[in-house]
Amino acid sequence: MFLSMMSWTSSAQDSLWIARGEWPHIPDSVQSIRFNANSDWTSINATLSRVPDQLSTLVLINSDSIMHTWKLEAEGEQEWEIGGFDTLSLNIPALAAGAYRFGLTNEVGRVLGASGQLQVGLDVDFPLFHWNLGDWSIDRMVAADLGLPIAWDAPYIPEQFTINERTYPATVDDVDALVTMSLGDTCLISIVNHGFMDHVFHFHGFHVTIVSSTLHPERVGWSKDTSPILRGEALVVQLVANQIGMYPVHNHNLIAVTNAGFYPGGMITQIHVMP
Amino acid sequence: MRQFRIFVLICAFSGSLLCSGQMAPPQLFSGMEGFTFLSDGTAIPIWGYGWVADGYITLPGPLLEYNQNDFVQLNFTNPSPESHTIHLHGLDVDQVNDGVPATSFYVTTGEEATYSFTANHPGTFLYHCHVTTTLHLTMGMYGMILVNRPDMMLYDGGPAYAENAPILFSDLAIETNMNPVQSFPFHDIRPDVFMVNGVSGNQLEQAEHIITFEAGQPIALRLGSMAYSLLRLDFPEELHATCYMSDGRPLPEPLEVVELDIFPGERFTVMIEPDAGWDGYIPCEFWNIPDQQFEDEQLIRVRDASLDVPTLGTNDSPAGFPNPTRSSITWGGLESICVFDAGGSMVFQGALLQGKLDVQSWPAGLYTAILSDGRRSRFSVIH
Repeated sequence: MFLSMMSWTSSAQDSLWIARGEWPHIPDSVQSIRFNANSDWTSINATLSRVPDQLSTLVLINSDSIMHTWKLEAEGEQEWEIGGFDTLSLNIPALAAGAYRFGLTNEVGRVLGASGQLQVGLDVDFPLFHWNLGDWSIDRMVAADLGLPIAWDAPYIPEQFTINERTYPATVDDVDALVTMSLGDTCLISIVNHGFMDHVFHFHGFHVTIVSSTLHPERVGWSKDTSPILRGEALVVQLVANQIGMYPVHNHNLIAVTNAGFYPGGMITQIHVMP
Repeated sequence: MRQFRIFVLICAFSGSLLCSGQMAPPQLFSGMEGFTFLSDGTAIPIWGYGWVADGYITLPGPLLEYNQNDFVQLNFTNPSPESHTIHLHGLDVDQVNDGVPATSFYVTTGEEATYSFTANHPGTFLYHCHVTTTLHLTMGMYGMILVNRPDMMLYDGGPAYAENAPILFSDLAIETNMNPVQSFPFHDIRPDVFMVNGVSGNQLEQAEHIITFEAGQPIALRLGSMAYSLLRLDFPEELHATCYMSDGRPLPEPLEVVELDIFPGERFTVMIEPDAGWDGYIPCEFWNIPDQQFEDEQLIRVRDASLDVPTLGTNDSPAGFPNPTRSSITWGGLESICVFDAGGSMVFQGALLQGKLDVQSWPAGLYTAILSDGRRSRFSVIH
């Protein structure tokens, strides 16, 4: 299913900053922790890219004051601890083509949303889009930021649902989330679920072919218009633009297409196919 | 009252076309004044779809069936007080027919519209309203679409089947349905009624909800979900269940299934060839997705048709359920009935007028009718 990986040309991001700051895309403006590509704060997590089947390195710079634990969810999963204001160099193992989730696994880092995706060999022949999915309980985030206990036993009622840390309609201003194509083109979409619950995405207008999945490998090759992305799953789908028009793509668990309970919002983006 | 007049006019118009010999395609309408009945007889308000010719909405909406390669023109009229649409979920129709108000069009109160598409792929699909989708689906505005092949093969080169068994899973939140205007915020909607083809509990033991088979005749289970929950089905080994399709496309390889998860909006076609003489259940678990908690289990009964097993009385036809668009219940071809109230007292015995029983002046409540051919039928009267 995968393509020749020899023509990889993009430059690899070799450093990630762990940073804490305000998240302006949701009205509560809560504090969040993110992986940034440089020392400038942004509330959008950075994406990593690598070539297949090659070892590589990554430098983690923790600009937060507390210790965090970094994990790459791939075969032979490994965790690394990094102290406050510390720097760590780690090895990324040789991986097959596909998408992989990475993130902070300690409670504060996880709840405040430091998580991203590692794309291996995906930006070769086709345009690549990516969706990092998140579900957010403001109460949990505020507690985590203040170092207070989190009520894990309470029913989980997230109020915000995001694609690349944005809620609809801001998702369609995101060039990574809005899929723009010309008729007849093919693209890949790399989707990773960083949330605390499973999600399920429905494509209007198109079926997509599953190219890789970390948790549903038996589904590779399936043609779907509605696909679950389980908690922690990284899924890559291929889309062929066989008709023109504007088509929504959205979570079909319909509590997740809302912003603070109001429809439409949350996990919605679009596919635009031009003649 | 005005809506009722509009509605009658549409029926009359539809009837006149049929009388003049022209082929009028079936026409769906949307309504916001229907009811569904829980297994204890409680009436729950629903919004939904129904055939104009029938005059009432159902939960789920009517099953739409087409043949592969049909050019479909689905006529839709909206006499209800709010705008609605029909999204043809999974049929990959073009933008204008997609049923999303922002990119397609609304069908406002009193308007009619036609959704056109070619049913290119055989399989299992869904339809639903895409206006304020979270609320309108919770209220019941959804149904299933089957695209069949005349040769009764699942797909070109696929296995043949003897019969379709459409199974649409859904759920509803009573509090939301009882008071949709006060249902904000939507993100905390948590269903508390879990349904298979719009019913639950012992309603699934009614004859119309039991899947019967003849030995050696494979049945295509057309499974789809409009629920908020994750569905987890366990197939007993006596069913010899094999999954051939998902979302209206063949799987690369058929998959023998023992357990199958179905997420909201997904569909699967599972063929079963039960052992002769088998009478049992497919357990269907509903799981809360945010909390990963078990919520409920419903049982789909599968039974060898040759077995002589007593079943609960059938509801005969959906016309047995009145709602505000109808004042009478119809049982075609019957001469007389006896009706008992919930306390067991006979409240009516006599002949039907043109097969109809006028319940307009009856007290609200749950009733059981004994039909002259021996069948039993339950209905509720609501005002």
